[in-house]
Amino acid sequence: MLKYTETEIRRRLIEGLRFTVPEVIETMAYCEAQFIGQDTNINFALSSEIAAMIRLYGGLDGMIAITSEELLVRTIVSRILGAVPEDLTSSDLLDGIAELINMVCGGMKTKAQINHIHLSPPLAIIGNDYTAVWKTDQPPVVMTFQVDNHVLKIHAGL
Amino acid sequence: MKILTVDDSKTIRRLISGIGATLGYEVLEAENGHEAFYVLGEHCKTIELILLDWNMPGMNGLEVLKIMKKNEDWRHIPVVMVTTEGERSHVVQAIQAGASHYMIKPFTQEDLSARIMECLGMADEF
Repeated sequence: MLKYTETEIRRRLIEGLRFTVPEVIETMAYCEAQFIGQDTNINFALSSEIAAMIRLYGGLDGMIAITSEELLVRTIVSRILGAVPEDLTSSDLLDGIAELINMVCGGMKTKAQINHIHLSPPLAIIGNDYTAVWKTDQPPVVMTFQVDNHVLKIHAGL
Repeated sequence: MKILTVDDSKTIRRLISGIGATLGYEVLEAENGHEAFYVLGEHCKTIELILLDWNMPGMNGLEVLKIMKKNEDWRHIPVVMVTTEGERSHVVQAIQAGASHYMIKPFTQEDLSARIMECLGMADEF
């Protein structure tokens, strides 16, 4: 098994995320997801209408989250299910975004070829007035993707 | 005839149910290993294929698969692992434990449909 430094593991995981997000969205939901850019934040804080996150543990401790507005998540989940967007319940959206982050993190691990990191079950949040904060000593990377003229963000605290 | 999908994600279970219905199969759903064993106990004579997730709360898919393959009444039913775990070591473990196929998420509906038909010996019928 290849041994990477923590810095190299982080780099490979971020790179893996960048390529996995469009692949998951395009394959499952038949919509194009375009990488717009990435930045670093001071805090790992989530406040969008819908969010889902997965904890990484084992070889590296971290958190990966996906955030977006409800309209886009509704569109993506409806396309996955072949359902009418307006017919989806909050429970459908929560489960859908949880499965999206699950697939994104699984693909990230595979693309990065980092086998010794484990994924927690996903946690999903839906609502308007909340801020979720995760304490980390590393500045989180925030990647922005454009999907159907809406914005979807990936937050990586690694 | 029936297909059993075992996945903690309702989204994936609904997706598979839709594909199964299109192929003319009734799809039974289980959210975890324990539910799967209950459904198998009730319907094992009519289930022709099991689609099994790997990462589930509680017992994981590999543990569920090993238990299925130890049961005399269930072991003949082909199992497709449907999972985000794409590492080679996972594939090897699943095949060694008795999985017939391994399918990595994300997948298109066409890919999954084709894999189900292949497992059910329907590939020439469409």
